[in-house]
Amino acid sequence: MSPLTSRRGLLFGTAAVSAGALLAGCTSNEPSDGKQAGSAQPAASDTPGKHVTIGFAGPQADHGWLNAINDNAKSRAEKYSDVTLEITEGSNDTATQIGQIETLINKKVDVLVVLPADGKALTQVGLKAMRAGIPVVNLDRVFNTPQAYRCWIGGDNYGMGLNAGHYIGEKLKDKPNARVVELAGLDNLELTRQRTQGFDDALKNYPNIKKVARQAADFTVESGQAKMAQLLQAQPEFDALWNHDDDQGVGALRAIEQAGRDDFLMVGGAGALSAFQAIKRDDSVLKATVLYPPTMAASAIDLARALGQGKGIGGLAEFEIPASITLYSAVVDKTNVDTYMPTGFR
Amino acid sequence: MAPEPPLLSMSGITKSFPGVRALDGVDLDVQAGEVHCLLGQNGAGKSTLIKILAGAHQPDTGTVRWRGDPVVLRSPIAAMRLGIATIYQELDLVGHLSVAENVHLGHEPTAAGFVVRRRAARAATAELLARLGHPEIDPARPVGRLSAAQQQIVSMARALSHDVRLIVMDEPSAALDPEEVDNLFRIVASLTADGVAVVYISHRLEEIRRIGDRVTVLKDGRAVARGLPAKTTPTRDLVALMTGRTVEYVFPERPAPAPAAERPPVLQVRGLARAGEFAPLDLEVRAGEIVGLAGLVGSGRSEILETIYGARRPTAGQVLVDGRPVRPGSVRAAVRAGLGLAPEERKAQALLMLESVTRNVSVSSLSRFARAGWIDRSAERGAARAAVRELSLRPDDPSVPVRTLSGGNQQKAVLARWLLRGCKVLLLDEPTRGVDVGARAELYAVVRRLADEGLAVLLVSSEVPEVLGLADRVLVLREGHVVHTAPATDLDEHRVLDLVMNAHPVASEGSPAS
Amino acid sequence: MTQPVSPPRGGTDKTATAGRPPAWRSLAARADVRTLSLLGVLAALIVIGGVTKPDEFLDTRNLQLVLTQASVIGVVTVGMTFVITAGGIDLSVGAIVALASVWATTVATQEYGVGGVLLTSVLVGLGCGLVNGVLIAYGGMVPFIATLAMLASARGLALRITGGRTQVVTVDSVLRLGERDSYVLGIPPLVLVFAVVTVIGWLVLNRTTFGRRTVAVGGNPEAARLAGIDVRRQRLYLYLLSGLCCGIAAFLLIVLSGSGQNTNGNLYELDAIAAAIIGGTLLSGGRGTITGSVLGVLIFTTITDIFALNNLPTDAQQIAKGAIIVAAVLVQRRTAGTT
Repeated sequence: MSPLTSRRGLLFGTAAVSAGALLAGCTSNEPSDGKQAGSAQPAASDTPGKHVTIGFAGPQADHGWLNAINDNAKSRAEKYSDVTLEITEGSNDTATQIGQIETLINKKVDVLVVLPADGKALTQVGLKAMRAGIPVVNLDRVFNTPQAYRCWIGGDNYGMGLNAGHYIGEKLKDKPNARVVELAGLDNLELTRQRTQGFDDALKNYPNIKKVARQAADFTVESGQAKMAQLLQAQPEFDALWNHDDDQGVGALRAIEQAGRDDFLMVGGAGALSAFQAIKRDDSVLKATVLYPPTMAASAIDLARALGQGKGIGGLAEFEIPASITLYSAVVDKTNVDTYMPTGFR
Repeated sequence: MAPEPPLLSMSGITKSFPGVRALDGVDLDVQAGEVHCLLGQNGAGKSTLIKILAGAHQPDTGTVRWRGDPVVLRSPIAAMRLGIATIYQELDLVGHLSVAENVHLGHEPTAAGFVVRRRAARAATAELLARLGHPEIDPARPVGRLSAAQQQIVSMARALSHDVRLIVMDEPSAALDPEEVDNLFRIVASLTADGVAVVYISHRLEEIRRIGDRVTVLKDGRAVARGLPAKTTPTRDLVALMTGRTVEYVFPERPAPAPAAERPPVLQVRGLARAGEFAPLDLEVRAGEIVGLAGLVGSGRSEILETIYGARRPTAGQVLVDGRPVRPGSVRAAVRAGLGLAPEERKAQALLMLESVTRNVSVSSLSRFARAGWIDRSAERGAARAAVRELSLRPDDPSVPVRTLSGGNQQKAVLARWLLRGCKVLLLDEPTRGVDVGARAELYAVVRRLADEGLAVLLVSSEVPEVLGLADRVLVLREGHVVHTAPATDLDEHRVLDLVMNAHPVASEGSPAS
Repeated sequence: MTQPVSPPRGGTDKTATAGRPPAWRSLAARADVRTLSLLGVLAALIVIGGVTKPDEFLDTRNLQLVLTQASVIGVVTVGMTFVITAGGIDLSVGAIVALASVWATTVATQEYGVGGVLLTSVLVGLGCGLVNGVLIAYGGMVPFIATLAMLASARGLALRITGGRTQVVTVDSVLRLGERDSYVLGIPPLVLVFAVVTVIGWLVLNRTTFGRRTVAVGGNPEAARLAGIDVRRQRLYLYLLSGLCCGIAAFLLIVLSGSGQNTNGNLYELDAIAAAIIGGTLLSGGRGTITGSVLGVLIFTTITDIFALNNLPTDAQQIAKGAIIVAAVLVQRRTAGTT
């Protein structure tokens, strides 16, 4: 039984698409749904150059966002006729991932793109690749030392919380004694703590707002529903909700609907398509979501290709690509949702 | 105090469990170098007493003196440190470990405090086994692969590996054949010659006569007689002390006209065989008839019963009930055809120990009380009660947990199961194992009555008098072959033992049972 | 091949005549004590909840919430109780719930409406149970291993189907079942299903030949076989039953969360086993209690509820849960005496 029968056409943001790449995209056996090249322009020059083999290792795509990371990387690589992508089966097990990366090193790929299951635990294998002369693009979850990567590109978890806090703060700044609640993600992840920290720091600017409750779900719909149902029971009245993750947000929205509550505004996180659509429809409490864009994987492929070809990025860094790129966690609400709609993942 | 106090002196020992007063002021004196026998029916308190002696239970009141000094046997280790070793009826060996590892379990010879010196352990074990008359047991062999008798030797070697002054043996001869029993007695004699005391528990009076020095009789948690001379006290007196009445080892009378050829054969076994276990076997059991299989441990008796019952798949042959063949290797087919088995290991193979008597009795007849899977519990209770009453099972309240029953009554619960099912053929494997003398006679009467009511009974027992006393017709087995068939009245114990142990073949004497 | 699971302690010497009725009465009393001690724990929790959060905790909506949250894992636990009573274990329940929930929420399935979703959930659950049952009963595999293998493959298949995406339910008739306007006399339909499954489970375990055979197989499989019970077929049925419960639970989860996701049912196996054990079902088999299991589930759900209402973090909830398991088992060992 096929999970999703709707076949979305591929969205290519650029006009200058080589025919070969298009063909490759259409004849691919991979399911094409949910694959978004994103609206972003490729960062590097897209004129074909020296052939580059890029090794890509990521965690198991058991979550919408991680799935989108893989799709973004694949579709961007398909766009380039001079890029071969060696992608490993995703794994959440540190030892397995180390083994997969070592295999890629032994295959002598030109550049490695690594999204570690656990950044600290994979530092050594990053160092090993760098010493073997293979430049590493570290995606999102950062290694322990800059020596283990040539370039880091990733999202800003602290900024996500900060922007969510500011957005809510601005909406509620005229309301005395405003109350907000937080539905956090998996509590034993560093990123969850960073998001909460950013949110709390932003709220410090608004003395009229008080965070009255926080519960941690675990990024699943099921936990989102359960924890949100509890929060709603515990807090008969509040004005805003910040939910760390749009996937668990599906469950949270379900709980809100079941409780029949609509007396607050909700801000999500990550940038799922379903969240964008709900924001656009404007028929639920979800009014905005803070991006943690999976398009960073596409950008990582661009960076890896530029590294492999010894190029810089036109208009940004002419001769050498930067050592570190932090993406901006933009807030998407009704006013700008159409711009971001194509990058929404499902 | 006497100049030479007894090695062990227990006085005024009491012990209660929820709902049961197991010991009610027991005294016991054991001298160094004697074999002191403990006699008593199941439930008299023997097991509780030796568990207290082994440090496994703590007495509620009473004192224990060791060489005149009061001691507290806080744990099995404390008892062992004093030099008290216990060989339980259900052996406590670890099947996957080797003989040497079992013998030295908990006190392995070590180098540097933790490295086990395996070679030393094996050598010491081999020496102990030789002393026990079993040099053929390989110390490196896993205990699970040994026979029951050999396991008992290992258990004894374990006791001797400590500096032991007192050995408690709980029914050591139950799993042994006569030859092994002789060896056991030789070991006991050599131990006592070294000044070790032995507390010996057995149901078999003849054994107590052979090796015992003194006897203490327990009844209902009290010592009703202490230190009686083992060799000279009349049997009648001992039985009277144990049971509180004078009961002989009685068998019910056989019905006047032997259940004879005019009755149809219910069970027919034709050429049934299992390669490596027993040779092709033919036998018939008629309605109302009890047929006995006599033979030593290892002669294939239990295997034959289990194969007839479908619990083992035969390599050849056929089983027929009322002339209709039964699908081989299927217990369910056998049960449906009207067979019922009371297996050798009641607790492991027959009883649901957590359940009531009712549920143990009804388990094979559930569909009789069920409509669309729904159990009519009052009908079930009523039927179980009737079956229990018919067999005079005590207590006659079938709602009690089956584990609170004595051995004999547990066996009756198993029989009640098949009575309720309405089976045609009853297969009895060692029906009186662990059943005390008084209850045996009653069990024999029950079996005979069931036969009189038309059941066909096939009986297996390692106790020859039991087979001869209860069965109408006897098949003598040796090493998987039927060596002789005769009416029970034409045989005596001596003749059967001769046939069973005779080394040269006598197969020509055996004729197919019919 | 098997020894009686729990050798009768306290002296094999107990005569029937010595103890008589008291032994049996005290056993009956003990069974009650076990249930009473669970009710006591639950009552204590209700007091704690009522004292710390009187307005939010002692509230109809909170009762509806607790029972609703308990219903998914509760249905799974009823199936698990049968399997454990028969001396088995089913580690794959969470994975089966996940697989059934994603299979039943694919776009293709959703086209068939509420019937299609329900039927698919149940059939996937039964299918997985069938595989477990055949491997264990007829393939001779140890339940631990067979269901561990099912755990891995069902989770994998669930991931393969979703590709890691959340499958949102668009069928209105499914969604409506989880909302307030379909409550029957204030009772959510999910809770009704849980109640019905519980009652049927109790009746089947205590009043039918199936339940009797389950207990017999768990108490002493060799004795059950020699008593003429088809032990293998019984085992097959038991894993089928557990799979069926997982399928029902998956449907409830779909209704509750309005979606299917491959991460559903995370660690259900541990929650269900824990609830059954603190309820008084013997992990070694031979004794099982549906009442106890359901009380166990309610205790866990109430703890979660009280912690969430008091805004305490997840780690504290987990610590409390562990402590409750240990305490409940210790209390039972005390009150249960010899067993």
